[in-house]
Amino acid sequence: MDNIVASAADRRFALVVKLFLAALAVIWLMPFVVILLTAIRAQGDMISNGVFSWPEAIAWTNFSSAWDAGNFSVYFRNSLFLILVKVPLGLLVASLAAYPLAKMKFPGSEAVFIVFLVGLAVPVQVTLQPLLIMMKSLGIGNTLWALIPPYLAFGLPFQIFVMRGFFRLLPNELIEAARVDGASESGIFFRIMLPLSLPPLATLAIIDALATWNEFLIALVLISANASRTVPIGLMQFQGQYSSQYTLLMAGVLISIIPVLIIFLFLQRYFVAGLAGSVKG
Amino acid sequence: MGAARPWLFLAPALSLYVVFLVLPMLFTLYTSFFTWDGLSPMSEMVWVGFGNYIRAFVDDDVARRAFVNNLYWTVGAVIIPTVIGLFLAVALNSVTAVNKALRTIYYAPAVLPLVAVGLIWGWMYNPNFGAVNLFLRSVGLDALAGGWLSSHSMALPATFLTYVWSHVGFPMILYLAGLQAIPRELYEAARIDGATRWHCFRFITLPGLAETHVIVLSLAVINGFKVFDLIYTMTYGGPGRSTHVLGTWMYFQTFQYYEAGYGAALAWVIAAIVLVFAVPYIRRMSRD
Repeated sequence: MDNIVASAADRRFALVVKLFLAALAVIWLMPFVVILLTAIRAQGDMISNGVFSWPEAIAWTNFSSAWDAGNFSVYFRNSLFLILVKVPLGLLVASLAAYPLAKMKFPGSEAVFIVFLVGLAVPVQVTLQPLLIMMKSLGIGNTLWALIPPYLAFGLPFQIFVMRGFFRLLPNELIEAARVDGASESGIFFRIMLPLSLPPLATLAIIDALATWNEFLIALVLISANASRTVPIGLMQFQGQYSSQYTLLMAGVLISIIPVLIIFLFLQRYFVAGLAGSVKG
Repeated sequence: MGAARPWLFLAPALSLYVVFLVLPMLFTLYTSFFTWDGLSPMSEMVWVGFGNYIRAFVDDDVARRAFVNNLYWTVGAVIIPTVIGLFLAVALNSVTAVNKALRTIYYAPAVLPLVAVGLIWGWMYNPNFGAVNLFLRSVGLDALAGGWLSSHSMALPATFLTYVWSHVGFPMILYLAGLQAIPRELYEAARIDGATRWHCFRFITLPGLAETHVIVLSLAVINGFKVFDLIYTMTYGGPGRSTHVLGTWMYFQTFQYYEAGYGAALAWVIAAIVLVFAVPYIRRMSRD
């Protein structure tokens, strides 16, 4: 399109679009600016001068106060623990399931795949009450371990879908050659399929880590003990205690989103490509 | 051993999926036909047939309001982030440094925990010190500066605006991916034949994105009916009970009022609607 001579109307249209994009970008960035300007100043300064003014003094102590008052070290440790256990385990289980769905012919494979896909649409609400009872009777009620099975189960459909799609692209000759050389199925999976799958696994790991960090409803129902709270639950608790201490509250919010923002900004290439490619199939 | 092999690979995933997702779903369906507090032994459940469903659609004003709120929310979610996302994708399709930066800006809110998003916008909407009212007053629109989240008429639209802020990036990304599949030659040929910009969009871009539309629109409906986090953190269903959606009302019934049977029915209303609208999505995803 670009090499065709642009008319005056075309140029005017392009300018309008650019102005609109810029205005929208300003609006989209504004909440980030507002929380930053709120979090780095004293409450009195913010109230008398308004949030859009430059702070009289930078109050870095808001962050340490919020960190301590909000118990964020506990919540960070808990959420990090969940990510470290759940993400690798989930990817392994999903890859194991995706391999036969992609590379073996057996009766029922279509049906199993569709049963997993239905899980993409299941609202967690429809499982919460039974999960609460189950975790209590398993003796892991109110602990972090209670979150891992449902997080795994709800993560599987998307991960199996992506890994199956990727495995299908790998040439069958690779597998046949390995079989001829006497490799076992598990040997093929662990020594050939998995090492070749690092790109989609990395993408899924990033998406899954963010989803685990952000998950709210399941944790809200299954966790009430302070020691087992994850970051979103802890943040809600913090808000309940300091709802009118806006500067402290926004410092806490900023603390809880900085890890995801950093991961997103540095790894967005994998992240965005993964989301887009996965849905294309 | 040949026939058993695929099932060995599938066993861990299938057992997790069945035990922690499928069986709880079915158990919830079962309890939705009983009156039960969710705490006492199951022997004390009282069979009520479709009573809980009748209660949701006929007797319970809050549930009916929640259902209508879900409908508004879903119609909004289908149209507004989709249209903006499509516009952004078309406008930012060429890979330049500026476009990449803009994509990052529009997508960034989507990676935040929704709890944080809710708290951020709760602060933006604060009646006295919030950025929204401060801005309105500074441009002389004092009359509009109100208590956004405490107003019966504005609380839901204000919460929905927050949803738009955090959900525009996803359709944008999906449409950007869809655009890559449309051959550039189509546009060049059309321009040579004298097609306008609008013609190109209407007759090449839009039909070329048919597959993406299915995914984007199905996901908008699915997520529109599942909505929970933003309502819970921003309005908690209030003022009064005017901003409840089925997701929050189900949570309140089950875990605050200990009406687990009724809550189960509400949960299955969400699930049934979502699963019906997910059919085209699942069909698209299962096609090779």
